[in-house]
Amino acid sequence: MASFELLAPRTVDEASAALRSLPPGEAAVLAGGTDLLLDVDQGRATPRRVVSLRHLPWRTLDWNQGALTVGSTLPLRALETDPDLPRLLPGLYEAVRAVGSAALRSRATLGGNLGRAAPASDLIPVLLALDAEVDLVGPDGDRTESVDRFVRASRVTTLRRAELIRSVRIPEPRPSAFVWQRVRPVNDISQVSIAAAYSPSARTWRAALGGVPPRPVRLTEAEAVLLGARPPPDVVGRVAEAVGRHPALVGDRRASDEYRRRLAASLFARAVESVARRAGGPS
Amino acid sequence: MSERPLALTLNGRPLRAEAVPDAERLLDTLRWRLGLRGTKEGCRTGDCGACTVLVDGRGTLSCLTLAHEIDGAAVVTIEGIDDDSTGTVVREAFRDAGALQCGYCTPGFVMALTGLLKERGSAVPADALLDDLGGNLCRCTGYVAIARAAELARRRLG
Repeated sequence: MASFELLAPRTVDEASAALRSLPPGEAAVLAGGTDLLLDVDQGRATPRRVVSLRHLPWRTLDWNQGALTVGSTLPLRALETDPDLPRLLPGLYEAVRAVGSAALRSRATLGGNLGRAAPASDLIPVLLALDAEVDLVGPDGDRTESVDRFVRASRVTTLRRAELIRSVRIPEPRPSAFVWQRVRPVNDISQVSIAAAYSPSARTWRAALGGVPPRPVRLTEAEAVLLGARPPPDVVGRVAEAVGRHPALVGDRRASDEYRRRLAASLFARAVESVARRAGGPS
Repeated sequence: MSERPLALTLNGRPLRAEAVPDAERLLDTLRWRLGLRGTKEGCRTGDCGACTVLVDGRGTLSCLTLAHEIDGAAVVTIEGIDDDSTGTVVREAFRDAGALQCGYCTPGFVMALTGLLKERGSAVPADALLDDLGGNLCRCTGYVAIARAAELARRRLG
């Protein structure tokens, strides 16, 4: 069995110090641990020290004038069972429900999912579509960054040494949707996923593609073509075809390139239709 | 190896274990340190749900939980199922529906279903309950009877 020292600091300063005093790669941060411990078991991570965030006061969820702030260590199950989430941010609700299983979500966290930055993350696409920002704390002070800038590549973020994710902020309620395809509906990794959202304040669309290397990506060209809350079906169809030609749609052991391209196109159309339905109002 | 004492409420009784390694999983604490073999190890990768126990009332995968991460929490395993009124209803529903074949997945299913019914109440729609049970695998594929047991338990609690 792998062995490591587990520390559970009471303050950010203590946590930063515990991370800084070892070379990078020898210290790991644990939020829920559902991904990190798997990496430890399978030899992909060999930390000498694991720094648990369980004593930091970040198991929080706050709605403030429509903006949602989720503490990085809040279990996803607690986010999913928030009574207002399905109505105000349906896409985020669907994405959280797509992660692992109910029992896994009792421990898995939004901060952990974002910090681990897996290409098949089911949460990063919807965070992109919702213009989410990540709030970071560390030895050099606090900073805020868009999720789009924060996630750089597979398992790579702009997180600096000894820096921690404190919370994720979503600026406004948006009609939104998250759709995916997998071999097994629960507890499986999405072959392709699409998140879409419409911002009623800016009257603009956001869409993102997940399950692709090196990281989930914004579909900026598609966003620019969709106009209004109810884009006409022929426009959606044309944009969906273009999404199916996205260069990130390559084959791997989970799906062939051809299958991924078809999935991306049909999932995109489904996501946009779902958002349009949720947006309601005149077309 | 770094180790320290662990304090839990286990099946309703206070428990203190000395010298528990920092990296030890709750699953191993239960099965090998405490001899509670009712909790099963299936995949050890979070895919099968066989190791599900209740931690502060919520179904939790004990294979992906460090024991020290839940220090101070209340843990219920299949051995303590009858200390919980919902648990008893679920256990009896599995019996009455004949919802087991080889039985290996049964403790995980019973704990998962108990946790879901405690969390969501019996007013939870039947299909939502089954959706949430999707994290548990039965290698005998005895899902029809398990779904019947879930529905039976939900009705009896209603």
